Amino acid sequence: MKMAVFLGCTVPVRNLSYELSAKRVAGELGLELVDIPEFSCCGYPIKSVHHETAYLLAARNLALAEERGLDICTLCSACTSVLTEVSYELATNEALLDATSETLGMLGKKYSGKVRVKHFVRVLYEDVGLKSIERAIKRPLDMFRIASHYGCHYLKPSKIYDRFDHPEAPESLDRLVSATGAFAVDYRTKKDCCGGAILGVDEETALSMARAKLDDISDRGADAINLICPFCSVMYGANQRKIAANHNVKYDLPILYYPQILGLAMGISHEELGLMQNPIRPRALLAKIS
Amino acid sequence: MESVRKKDVPVVTVLDPKFKYEVAREPGGENIKYCFQCGTCTSGCKVAELDSKYNPRKIIKMVILGMRERVLSGDFIWLCATCYTCHERCPQDVRIPEVMNALKNIAVREGYIHPAFRAQAELIAGHGRLYEIDELANEKRTDWGLTEIPQGCPEVAEIYGITGLFDLLSREVGGKT
Amino acid sequence: MPGMLQDAGREPRIGVYICHCGLNIAGVVDVEAVRESARFLQGVAVVRDNRYTCSEVGQKGIADDIKEFKLNRVVIASCSPRLHEKTFRTLMEKSGLNPHLLEMANIREHCSWVHYDDPVAATQKAKDLVRSSVARARLLQPLLRTKGQVLPEVMVIGGGVAGISAALYLGGMGIKTYLVEKEPSIGGHMAMLDKTFPTLDCSLCILSPKMVEVAECENIKILSYSQVEKVEGQVGNFRVQVRRKPRYVNEDKCVGCGDCVAKCPVKVNDEFNRNMGTRKAIYIPFPQAIPPAYVIDDENCRYLTQGKCKICQAVCQRGAIEFDQTDQTETIEVGAIIVATGFEPYDPRGLPEYGYGRFPNVITSLDFERLICADGPTYGKLKRPGDSTVPKRVAFIQCVGSRDQATGCAGYRLDGGTGSRGESTDPKPYCSRVCCMVTAKQAFMVKEKHPDAEVYVYYIDMRTAGKGFEEFYQRGRHEGIVFLRGRPGEVEEKEDGCLRIISEDLDSGCILDLTFDMVVLAQGLIPPGGLGELAQKMNLSRSEDGFLMEGHPKLRPAETAIDGIYLAGCVQFPKDIPDSVAQAGAAAAAAAVTCSKESIEIDPLGPVIDEALCIGCRLCEVLCPYGAIKVEFTDKGPKAKSIEVACKGCGVCGASCSTKAITMKHYTDSQLAAQVKAILEVV
Ligand SMILES: Cc1cc2nc3c(=O)[nH]c(=O)nc-3n(C[C@H](O)[C@H](O)[C@H](O)COP(=O)(O)OP(=O)(O)OC[C@H]3O[C@@H](n4cnc5c(N)ncnc54)[C@H](O)[C@@H]3O)c2cc1C
Ligand code: SF4
Ligand code: SF4
Ligand code: SF4
Ligand code: SF4
Ligand code: SF4
Ligand code: SF4
Repeated sequence: MKMAVFLGCTVPVRNLSYELSAKRVAGELGLELVDIPEFSCCGYPIKSVHHETAYLLAARNLALAEERGLDICTLCSACTSVLTEVSYELATNEALLDATSETLGMLGKKYSGKVRVKHFVRVLYEDVGLKSIERAIKRPLDMFRIASHYGCHYLKPSKIYDRFDHPEAPESLDRLVSATGAFAVDYRTKKDCCGGAILGVDEETALSMARAKLDDISDRGADAINLICPFCSVMYGANQRKIAANHNVKYDLPILYYPQILGLAMGISHEELGLMQNPIRPRALLAKIS
Repeated sequence: MESVRKKDVPVVTVLDPKFKYEVAREPGGENIKYCFQCGTCTSGCKVAELDSKYNPRKIIKMVILGMRERVLSGDFIWLCATCYTCHERCPQDVRIPEVMNALKNIAVREGYIHPAFRAQAELIAGHGRLYEIDELANEKRTDWGLTEIPQGCPEVAEIYGITGLFDLLSREVGGKT
Repeated sequence: MPGMLQDAGREPRIGVYICHCGLNIAGVVDVEAVRESARFLQGVAVVRDNRYTCSEVGQKGIADDIKEFKLNRVVIASCSPRLHEKTFRTLMEKSGLNPHLLEMANIREHCSWVHYDDPVAATQKAKDLVRSSVARARLLQPLLRTKGQVLPEVMVIGGGVAGISAALYLGGMGIKTYLVEKEPSIGGHMAMLDKTFPTLDCSLCILSPKMVEVAECENIKILSYSQVEKVEGQVGNFRVQVRRKPRYVNEDKCVGCGDCVAKCPVKVNDEFNRNMGTRKAIYIPFPQAIPPAYVIDDENCRYLTQGKCKICQAVCQRGAIEFDQTDQTETIEVGAIIVATGFEPYDPRGLPEYGYGRFPNVITSLDFERLICADGPTYGKLKRPGDSTVPKRVAFIQCVGSRDQATGCAGYRLDGGTGSRGESTDPKPYCSRVCCMVTAKQAFMVKEKHPDAEVYVYYIDMRTAGKGFEEFYQRGRHEGIVFLRGRPGEVEEKEDGCLRIISEDLDSGCILDLTFDMVVLAQGLIPPGGLGELAQKMNLSRSEDGFLMEGHPKLRPAETAIDGIYLAGCVQFPKDIPDSVAQAGAAAAAAAVTCSKESIEIDPLGPVIDEALCIGCRLCEVLCPYGAIKVEFTDKGPKAKSIEVACKGCGVCGASCSTKAITMKHYTDSQLAAQVKAILEVV
């Protein structure tokens, strides 16, 4: 299987370990990820400022993939959101497709509505499949307790995501974690939002949202949080110390990207997966494996 | 009556009955008039639970009532975390986060863009992305065995030009450039 | 019959009447222009426009014209023939014309109503329709109606309170009535209720005497544990195939002693108690069941599944156990049918945010009825299912599965992609109409049992329209029930099984974060499972909400579009017991009117077969959806024959016949061709 990998803005600059581990794991599982250098920002941050511009940015990216005859595989959930939405709208709304194509024509591009978009983890879940993943496990992580954070745009609005997982009772990430042999920790605030989208508008509220989840997951005795989005990583990783300091609490909750967890279970070394480059170094965790 | 009212009684005398139609014409705002004020959205909204300034149900009611200026100039419309919790549950398919986007789009045209969002829009115009990819960044990528990424993406600025977003970003309150 | 057949030979003299229908048509369509466009059409003798054609004045005008202008054909451009074709045909007959020389153009539903925003186009379309109607009218032929027999018997399908009431009314009038119920006992949902609003009578105490009355009425025959397989025929003469499932217990021999139950080794969940208790493989659904006979559940009986056991047969002293019973199919002929198959409660697993099916202390309103009923699994003690403790704080959530446009939650792949659970979990857009009062009643009952319990009701709107209903709601508030305006987004379970609800209280403006011992979901009422298939068997239409469509939303609420088939109870739309009973009365009256007739005139719409052309290919026989045309052997070889009573005049045979041996009497090829040609004319 061959897909264009859409890195977005944040991953290729700030979350190299996510990119690295995803590409590494994909290679092992027979999923070929092709880089398209001309990809720009997905359009998501512009949607609330100017709808049309956001749609055009997204459509331009879709057009780049269509030129190469590839579907898109995303790493960031926000990119997943806007690219899926625009691909859905353009596939179902002919008038919009015509208008968009006309504008893209001014940039020498064209789009006919064919590209499908899927988050990397959804590709693992649906296309690679749990069975193949289980077969690829060489070092079951049965010593780990891992709490998954689904985030919002990975599966909502569910209509444009073909309802592949239930937004009120999601299970895809937990099943993927279980497939690595690790214990999937269930927790009350599982479906809650990280707050990342309003970090720049109301930092206090945003950090409080993130904190509620950190508290809950810590209470559950999880060894790590499983993440699939670089924005969530800003909230739970980069800001973890700040939240701890602001609220006078202590956490020891490394964040891991799902391909890193999977990679470890597949027997790949932690260096190749960039684990020590994560915002919080998972020292204690790594000690558990060796 | 007016003279004896205390100052903090929120009395509204002027409403814009067209505002709801204006919002309904905006992409994302189409279903706003379906709202029957059940409160499901606010009940499950984590932002509303933490910040009393934000209440999606109330914002929708204010739009339906026609409190145009109050809604568009308020920073509360920028507080939706677009988590889609309410979007999934709203029994009337109002698609609240999309309504908030519609409101923000109108607010931008009226010169009320939130500074954080202006900053992002400007960064993206400049670099084609939120973060600049400079030589240092690419060096690091090559060290890690990852492909280099071109610096900048001029077509993004071209799109801004076509859609008129550059003009909008320089608008003042009231919508004048 | 009036309506002389010699009309046929004369040159057509057509009267054309364009109706204003007040402003219904004239508000959009330029009626004068339409009138003028018809004036010089071939064969037209007179054209007029009328404010209300169906009014007495309107009708008299036509009758006068028929005399004065010696009309022999009439075209009326007005509303749908479904509304007034009968009216105008009667008028024709009274004026001495054959009723089939009438042609209607629907310029209201098809023009002014649908094209209300484009008067010019609506007017043009009206002109086109009138022109084509006139073209057909020129070729209309007088037809003779035949008479069909009417069987003075009725079948009621569904034995809930609606079906029971309808059967009793009919039985009381001396009309032989068959009551078909798919479950082992009649009673329906009302039998499961504890008390009934707003008077709080015990539900079975008032229902059970009616059930006994049914059993004792000599005019009523109960066919329990039975389903309708096939419906043929038409008003006055329906042939219904009913499949009776074997009970394995002889209804006449079983005296209900219960000896078998004591000894039966198989225990399963008791569906009558909403799976909160257990029953044996041989059981009676509830003590007051009618017929009062036991039944063996063949999915769970050890003998019937594994071939070994028969303990019940050994202990039964009356020899009532009959393992050799098999499916029996009976054909019953009746003159009319009443459909009363009720509703099904909405399954809240379709809204997993409320936790039903995941959290034991989240129950539905029907569960609550069983939980608080003296005959229920807890013998009437209010105990929550999770740990059998008495709930001190109880919350009700309203509109669960109702008033929901369902776009957010329909059609999920639950269970890890094994497929959607289907219709019963998809929320519905309509208001289920009874659940506000059901909750008011149940909240009151909690207070009645435990006055110190705290009871909260989360609602969107409280709808308590009905006699004594608002007063009952007031009484509930007075008892201290707290009504909270604001629909919760989610129910969370805590470690001790208690339930946390965070919600916006719209009235105080606060976010409430409350914990309850038990949560009751006011589930909506949805169309009963299998209604689609049943409707198909009888050719009934369903409205958008999935319930059966009534003949007219205001004037024929207990009838259907099919003559001789009537509706009662929740199968038409959710309603409470008094409304179900009232509708049952209306349906029974309508059915009795039909059955009181000596004969029924059958519209001569069926096929005429030209034996010289028919080659006996059987294509029509295979295609006819009503079994109304059969190829028979005659001395000239195999020839198609029409069975007039069964024919609905759908035209399938006529269209399919490759040798053009079949002509539809009232829709001949030449009539249709003329109509099409006229409509395509550019004027
Ligand atoms: C929780 C709850 C509480 C309620 N409380 C009250 C109250 O206090 N007061 C009040 O007035 N109303 C109350 N109602 C409403 C009341 O239950 C209905 O008005 C009443 O049951 C409607 O009767 P019915 O005969 O139309 O339908 P049902 O009671 O549903 O009966 C239909 C019957 O048809 C049978 N059937 C279905 N399909 C077929 C088929 N294909 N072939 C043969 N038989 C079939 C069914 O088995 C059933 O016996 C309550 C409803 C609920 C859900
Ligand atoms: S959930 Fe929907 S209908 Fe209810 S108040 Fe919010 S927007 Fe309105
Ligand atoms: S999408 Fe916005 S309004 Fe809705 S729950 Fe999330 S933050 Fe609140
Ligand atoms: S005949 Fe039909 S269209 Fe004319 S007035 Fe009567 S109802 Fe209206
Ligand atoms: S034969 Fe069946 S019903 Fe009879 S006792 Fe055995 S299991 Fe029970
Ligand atoms: S009757 Fe009340 S609870 Fe039931 S759907 Fe209507 S408003 Fe909701
Ligand atoms: S018109 Fe022909 S096909 Fe239709 S019901 Fe009558 S006989 Fe059957």
